[in-house]
Amino acid sequence: MTKQLEKLKSSKYYGFMMLGAMVLFFYAVFKILTPGNFGSPANLYAYLQSSIIYSVGGCGLYFIVVMGLFDFAVGSNIVLSSIVGVILSKKFGYIGFVVGCLGCGTLIGILIGFLYNRLNVPSMIVTVGLMLIFESLAVFVAAGSKQTLDENLRFFSGAPGNIILAALAFLFMYFILNYTKIGTYCNAIGSNEFTAKNMGIDVKKYKLIGFALLHFFVGIMAILTVSYGTTMTALTGMSTMSRNFQPLMGTFFGVAFRKYGTPITAIIIGEFIISIIFNGFVALGAPTTIQNVVTGGALLVIVALTARGGKGSVVK
Amino acid sequence: MEKNILLRAEHIDKKFGITHAVNNVSLTIAAGEIRGLIGENGSGKSTFSQMLCGIYTIGGGTFTLDGKELHIRNQVEANNAGVSIIVQEMGTLSGLTVAENIFLGHEDPFVHHGIKDSRKMNQEAQRLLNEYGFTSIQASKMIDQYNFEDRKLIEIVKATYMKPKILIVDETTTALSQNGRLELYKIMDQVRADGRSVIFISHDLGEVLEHTDSVTILRDGEYIDTVQTKDVTEDDLKRLMVGREIGSAYYRTDYGTPISDEVVLKVDSVTVPGQIYNISFELHRGEILGFGGLSECGMHEVGKAVFGASWDRTGSVTLKDGTAINSIPTAIKHSVAYASKDRDNESIIINESIRNNVVLPSLDDLATNYVLSKKKLDSFANEHATRMQTKMQNVHQFISDLSGGNKQKVVLARWLGKGSDILVLDSPTRGIDVKVKQAIYALMGELKAEGKSIIMISEEIPELLGMSDRILIMKDGSINGEFMRRQDLTEEDLIAKMV
Amino acid sequence: MEKKNQENSQSKVLAFLGSDTFKGLLPFIGLVVIVVVMNILTEGKILTAKRLRLLLSQVYYPMIVATGVFFIMTLGSIDFTEGSTLGVASIVVSWLSFYSIPLAIVGGILTGAAIGALNGFFHVKFKLQSFIVTICTMYLFRGVCAYLTTETAIPASNTIKALDQDWLKITITVCVLLVAFFLFKFTRIGNDVKAVGSGETAARFSGVRTDMVKFLAFVCAGGLTGLAAFVNVIKVGSITSTAGNQLETQILISLVLGGLPITGGAKVRFSNIVVGTLMYTVLNNGLVMMGFESATQQLIKGIIFLIFVALTIDRKALKVIK
Repeated sequence: MTKQLEKLKSSKYYGFMMLGAMVLFFYAVFKILTPGNFGSPANLYAYLQSSIIYSVGGCGLYFIVVMGLFDFAVGSNIVLSSIVGVILSKKFGYIGFVVGCLGCGTLIGILIGFLYNRLNVPSMIVTVGLMLIFESLAVFVAAGSKQTLDENLRFFSGAPGNIILAALAFLFMYFILNYTKIGTYCNAIGSNEFTAKNMGIDVKKYKLIGFALLHFFVGIMAILTVSYGTTMTALTGMSTMSRNFQPLMGTFFGVAFRKYGTPITAIIIGEFIISIIFNGFVALGAPTTIQNVVTGGALLVIVALTARGGKGSVVK
Repeated sequence: MEKNILLRAEHIDKKFGITHAVNNVSLTIAAGEIRGLIGENGSGKSTFSQMLCGIYTIGGGTFTLDGKELHIRNQVEANNAGVSIIVQEMGTLSGLTVAENIFLGHEDPFVHHGIKDSRKMNQEAQRLLNEYGFTSIQASKMIDQYNFEDRKLIEIVKATYMKPKILIVDETTTALSQNGRLELYKIMDQVRADGRSVIFISHDLGEVLEHTDSVTILRDGEYIDTVQTKDVTEDDLKRLMVGREIGSAYYRTDYGTPISDEVVLKVDSVTVPGQIYNISFELHRGEILGFGGLSECGMHEVGKAVFGASWDRTGSVTLKDGTAINSIPTAIKHSVAYASKDRDNESIIINESIRNNVVLPSLDDLATNYVLSKKKLDSFANEHATRMQTKMQNVHQFISDLSGGNKQKVVLARWLGKGSDILVLDSPTRGIDVKVKQAIYALMGELKAEGKSIIMISEEIPELLGMSDRILIMKDGSINGEFMRRQDLTEEDLIAKMV
Repeated sequence: MEKKNQENSQSKVLAFLGSDTFKGLLPFIGLVVIVVVMNILTEGKILTAKRLRLLLSQVYYPMIVATGVFFIMTLGSIDFTEGSTLGVASIVVSWLSFYSIPLAIVGGILTGAAIGALNGFFHVKFKLQSFIVTICTMYLFRGVCAYLTTETAIPASNTIKALDQDWLKITITVCVLLVAFFLFKFTRIGNDVKAVGSGETAARFSGVRTDMVKFLAFVCAGGLTGLAAFVNVIKVGSITSTAGNQLETQILISLVLGGLPITGGAKVRFSNIVVGTLMYTVLNNGLVMMGFESATQQLIKGIIFLIFVALTIDRKALKVIK
């Protein structure tokens, strides 16, 4: 019996089951508390649509976080890339929009990876500094004005456009993880950088690739974000910091469920769970300002459950 | 009888700081030979083989494999050149699947135009696992789901599937159960049958005699001899391993001095899961109690357990006055000191000054009403560092600049300053030159004469024989033998209880 | 021959630039350079009495906060909650200021200390990296701050606003600095904190209660931020949802500018707090006075921050740079 249980616990389906149970649990809690304004199929569809934007970013961050690195510049790059995309869209339409977002996103990623390798400073610190720089760049690029996406270019603002794009992003992630060496090498570097180096892996190169990939996904996120909100304003003062956290929560889900071999599903469902919790609170009548409290608290609980260090480990 | 020479090692050399780990070793291995490589802890056998497979850079000399000189920078290049290793520690990476681990660094056959064919990779890995008879392991699963022994088996596959010309097996058998060992022996025999060669490193001499064709003995980094297995007995090998005249000059020379009956420390059925089991012993006043065994026998954990530093420890450690030691601060407050084997991480604060390293445990004693005086700290550190004859510019010098021996002197100065009565010294002379060694032995003698008690954990048998009043030998986490100080006690007596 | 000499002196200069002495002097040089440069660029306007008074008024509460964070960063940890803690504590101070000023001070300190305790608890108990914990709590308490100020800004009593006197703020700031300096230099606290920053495992084996030290550092830093909230309320009078916004970055940049290595440990100096905070304030004011818009200011700050981190970091202390 215990052996069967062991076997079940180690299988892919156990991961799915746990995630499914969490979804059901939170759904049930809020449905019971506020049966009227929470959880109709239409509502759920809306929750899903808002959560997939973050899931895309969560996928990108996965590459960096499994290597033990960190990136605070995600938020600032969402703003910068979407502004670049919107500006280019005015001249070149959809092509300008998509290429602008993805191109700018990826270039920023390469720049971060290059500077990280070059300066030899922890990624967390480099990206805090770069966040300040990218925020101001966004202001310069936008020339201080609000950038609005043209009404003819809003294919990605709602279903099916947003879902198709997000699905493509997830497929791309699946492809990278399962059909290239990158996923394996990122995991290996995260597990033990010295051993990885010993196995002939060019650690610096793959860290650079990790940052480039992350910010390619950030570019996709930029497309979805600005389409969803239709406008983007560049602000300084670390205002983009808060945009880092929602993708990060999905990533932590992904890392936690990595051992079941289902990181992407875990990221998507994880973001969905957060969305349910947040919307549940709103349905309960909490003001939207409570969102940060919920997000912060949820993230803290998630990392406490998933990312804790071992006994005697040195944690700074 | 003359066989083709497969591997030729010429004047291989390696230094770590002042430690001459491998000293001008030359040897040849024939095709189709299983060569045992034996020696005590620190004899250089692991360092030698890790240079051959690219984990360490080669300090000097050349390896020639099949007539070609090797220039290897990492393990993958070694694999490509035909050398692979199964290491002592965990060699697999968590977070990867079994198949990814097996082919790590060798994915190219499965990558076409940048696209990795995971299914084919999994199939191939599974085919290999089945071929080796490890059918219970699934290639597509995460390696984290398998235990240490299964992960070792996976490592065996990883190291051997590409049919290396030279396979190095570095003390792998200790991690394996009987079944796993048999699998490993079968693979070794297979390699030999194919006309390739194995370097087999093991502490288990019975195993070495049973499974090798010839045996090379290293001692203190130097090549001693190579013998044909069929011509020798276990005792011959032991004699060759030990061989040396015990340099008695700097050890204690007294024998038969009675030890006080006064018990200063009592350790009762102490267990640390996965490390040590049911350890009980008593330490007497003025006694030097030696702990010996193979590196992984758990003796190092005993030191930590006594000092209150182990995680999840059960059982009790009590002092004469009944104080139970369960945490490091309690241990230090009640006069217990500890010098770790891992000196740079656990003993000294490497990025700090000598002064701050010396004063750290004594800060409460040095403070008047919680206030510290810089002058007092300086003179305290200076006094004890000077007493230990530490070579330094002044006490404000950073400790990272000092040699291993001087670092150890600072550690001892710290505990002398604290005035500890019970000293747990784990590998006190590890990586230290003879002169400092002498000083440390002399100090231990002085401390003993003052009535202080010492637990000395050591991987060096002569040191145990030369310094201890009593020796406890550990094996697989338990105490396996006890010896009183005797002139006629030999290294063989101790080794017999270790392996 | 001459060429060789030249090379020699060149390599000497390079060696000096990489040396610890230079790294230690860098902040002071930086402060002087920034003051001189700003003075020239603003044509002497920055060194007028009126300006200096304004400068000082911007220094008090960041300096108090930086003092607490200094201990955390000496541990090698990091804290991102100062801004939100200041916000929440300021609200508490404002509420209590209608009852009694001493109560308001104590309330502010306790609020900050409680948030610090929460950070410390998660960091120590669950062995989570401090920056992850404090990011979560920063987010959380920013939310609390926003929630409490959803309807209107929270006003403080007139009694507390009447306290807006330079001498009082200077006294508080100087007292905090003196007490912290004493604790850091003349009690075992300083030694313990530095030891944990330089080598945590070895510190534990030398009898330092590492978990306790880390926990208390977070509690103290929180408490000091709570005290700073009092100074803040005196100055601003009413609290909006943006209270303390960005303070954490400001403190981080200040301390790094002051020469504090991001790795913490033995090479930190108490002067890092004072020099860093002053440098940041001068830099900030100078950029404003030169008429740069906020985006340009931020760009310049970001670049200077990265340069200083790269110059002051102790790479030897990091085995693997993550």
